[in-house]
Amino acid sequence: MLTLLEQVDKGTLWRSHGGIHPPELKTLSSKTTIANFPLASHFIIPIPQVGDSALLRIKKGERVVKGQALTAGTSFAHCAVHAPTSGTITAIEQLPSNHASGLPVLSCVLTADGQDESIETITSDLSTLDNQQILKLIQNAGIAGLGGAAFPTHIKLSPVSDIELVIINGIECEPYITSDDRLMQEYSDEIISGIAIIERLLTPKRIIIAIEDNKPEAIEAMQHSLNRSELSSDNVRITKVPTKYPSGGEKQLIQILTGQEVPSGAIPAQLGMLVQNVATAYAIQDAVINGQPLISRVVTVTGLNCETPGNYWLPIGTQVQHILQTSGFKGDLSQDKIIIGGPMMGHSLPDVTAPVLKGTNCILLPSTEEIAPDQQEMPCIRCGECAVVCPALLLPQQLFWHAQAEEYDKAASFNLHDCIECGCCSYVCPSDIPLVEYYRVAKSALRTQSEEKKQADLAKQRFDARQQRLEDEKLARETKAREAAARRKNSMASADKNVVAEAMARMKAKKAAQSNTADSVAPAPVQDKKAQIAAAIARAKAKKASATTATDHPVGSDDVEVDPIDDKKAKINAAIARAKAKKAQQNNPSAKTSAPDVQVNAVDEKKAKVAAAIARAKAKKQLQADGDKTQEKVLVDNDTALATNTVPNTNKESTETTLAADTKKARIAAAVAKAKAKKQSLTSDDTEATNPNAVANDSSTDPAAESALSPAEIKKARIAAAVAKAKAKKAQAKLEEKE
Amino acid sequence: MSGIVIAVVVLTILALIFGILLGFAAEKFKVEGDPLAEQVEALLPQTQCGQCGYPGCKPYAEAIANGDKINKCPPGGTATMEKIADLVGVDPEPLNATEEIQEKKVAYIREDECIGCTKCIQACPVDAILGSGKLMHTVITDYCTGCDLCVAPCPVDCIDMLPIEQTTKTWNWQLNAIPVKQVQEDPQC
Repeated sequence: MLTLLEQVDKGTLWRSHGGIHPPELKTLSSKTTIANFPLASHFIIPIPQVGDSALLRIKKGERVVKGQALTAGTSFAHCAVHAPTSGTITAIEQLPSNHASGLPVLSCVLTADGQDESIETITSDLSTLDNQQILKLIQNAGIAGLGGAAFPTHIKLSPVSDIELVIINGIECEPYITSDDRLMQEYSDEIISGIAIIERLLTPKRIIIAIEDNKPEAIEAMQHSLNRSELSSDNVRITKVPTKYPSGGEKQLIQILTGQEVPSGAIPAQLGMLVQNVATAYAIQDAVINGQPLISRVVTVTGLNCETPGNYWLPIGTQVQHILQTSGFKGDLSQDKIIIGGPMMGHSLPDVTAPVLKGTNCILLPSTEEIAPDQQEMPCIRCGECAVVCPALLLPQQLFWHAQAEEYDKAASFNLHDCIECGCCSYVCPSDIPLVEYYRVAKSALRTQSEEKKQADLAKQRFDARQQRLEDEKLARETKAREAAARRKNSMASADKNVVAEAMARMKAKKAAQSNTADSVAPAPVQDKKAQIAAAIARAKAKKASATTATDHPVGSDDVEVDPIDDKKAKINAAIARAKAKKAQQNNPSAKTSAPDVQVNAVDEKKAKVAAAIARAKAKKQLQADGDKTQEKVLVDNDTALATNTVPNTNKESTETTLAADTKKARIAAAVAKAKAKKQSLTSDDTEATNPNAVANDSSTDPAAESALSPAEIKKARIAAAVAKAKAKKAQAKLEEKE
Repeated sequence: MSGIVIAVVVLTILALIFGILLGFAAEKFKVEGDPLAEQVEALLPQTQCGQCGYPGCKPYAEAIANGDKINKCPPGGTATMEKIADLVGVDPEPLNATEEIQEKKVAYIREDECIGCTKCIQACPVDAILGSGKLMHTVITDYCTGCDLCVAPCPVDCIDMLPIEQTTKTWNWQLNAIPVKQVQEDPQC
């Protein structure tokens, strides 16, 4: 039993299943040498052509030169695209693509300046480069598989497993196409040196250059070049492969050369094999040795609708319409098809403005004689011809049934994914069923399904994650709320205590006031409402008093201090009362632990002032009218009361006492004093806090203070009183409403 | 007579043994959750749009497993409904919502108009909207399920549901495809 490599050395060939022998029609374009094409005025370079992530390195309006990279990418898969000639980037926009759908893709429009100025190419000596540098050069040159699939070559050339066998694909089995044939005939040396680079990178045990036997010139040229080259003839051999379509398919070629079948869903690298196209080998050589990026390729322009069929070096990005114009397109664009690729696997181009890509190996311009008009599809007769020719050993009719019934899952169970869309089945079908079209539809439907499944899984995952997050947040919020509630409870407890203490103090004060048989004055206003109420009460009392004093008989005076006729005395008395109140006020803050009055009074200053003004005015009027000594008595009594009261009633606000006998007068006086006290409570802290005792003790020092109340001010005070009254009423109403 | 007694005794003992065995097996190999609901959920499109009247696909799957109607999922369309019908063994019924053209859409926020109210973020069932208070929001289109739920809460109506544009990668081959013609149209806002 010979090993695989021995058999390979012997040139043993295996038979691949199926296949057809369509008319080749290669002589149409294979007779002339590869020509250069006149430069187009516009080029369209889709970005990215291969690989997904790329950054644009140029801006609109920028001038680029031939070979300048247009994209940059950080990912390993990035495959750069380059400017095919010098010129200006006039647009970067969505333009029709060279794809069966013709859907627009993002492309750069390069307007050529005709100078064809090139970047400086760096030629390198292969012996000075290491493998990584070579791979980098290949990647930067943007080399992709030129056989048609356009898979980035640098990825293919850095496999994870060892490669034992490298196959250089020079089969070119599709009818019409001769680009690889011509390339091998004319550039065999370059191809061989490209193969040498691949050999260096992968160090395979064997390299097979496989060429179909319908290209004898190419085989000969390659053989000569190989003999001339430094490559060992033990390792590298050229194998002639019998002509059959589709032996150029990767899996089919491996089967023919090694007898091994690439498993479904696997790649040849898993068998230790690698297939590269000859044109790719040429491009590798050009990139590594000449430093030339992949900006042009050999394209076969052929078909009976073409006046000058042949092979041309076409810059990548040349628009198909330019090719049509230059090569003398004889057909009618509205009727005749333009096929990109060969007649078997190619697709018709929906828009002639689309450009030539790296994978475009042929532009076929068939006349109506060559391409049969679309036949009416007839029912499948179950002849089984398609299964005979299928190179992938599938059951095309089963696939067709399921695809037609849109049972894509069942089609997939018949290994639809292994279909290489070679078109053999459609070719042999006696019912003219476009089988491959059905498979393509089924494949894209399956792909959409799997995409949707993936999308749904992702959505579910994200939905679940969100639910989890919301749940967590809710929990966190609840815990926080609970903690906050606990904290509040704690602080509330202490606050409550304060409130209770205050309430108790107020109660005590009230009691004390009652025990003194005098009107109790509201405690230093904790709230403005209280202040207002107090003011209202005071005012009401004052009013009543003033109403009655006119009829009251003045009480006889024996007090020395008071002169009944003198206004001044009255003023002094008022001042005394004020001072007393002040004193009381002074005592209170010191006794009280919490001093809410200070803050509240500040807010309520104005109102209190007004109230005070009213009280003062009233008091004055009263004094002027009476001029008796009742006031003095009251005040004297107050003096003593305060002196005694401040000690026991520490929490109490200023309390006034009156003589039990003279209630009305006393009440008036109390009101005055109360008002004063209020006023004092407002100002005592900042103005007179320093000297409370002096004021309290020495009443004779006060006239100056009282002198502020000039007769002119009385009127003002009255107005103020009116205002205050209204306010007080309002406050009262509010309070009642509240209650 | 003794034969009957023996038979009864033996059968009773056997019944006891098997009863214990079955009881043990039921405990030991108990299946957590409802396997049918899970299978149904796998079929639902997971847009989490709530058009079925349930807050998400999972609750609806559970409801179906408990006998709810299978035709309440407009995003899934007839295909999903038929699959569910197959699975739970009920007759397929027409969708309750008028089946619109099944066109996949994603939300798109006109960012100039966004006032940053975060209402759409709160509405999105799959957290596909990015943004913060008083800052512009945007939709992560890859994550958007096209459920529509963000459109209504927007106070300035700056969210559009745009159909996903077809690319060469998502393009479906069509039999007898009519060549695509490029029609210039006014760019959207």
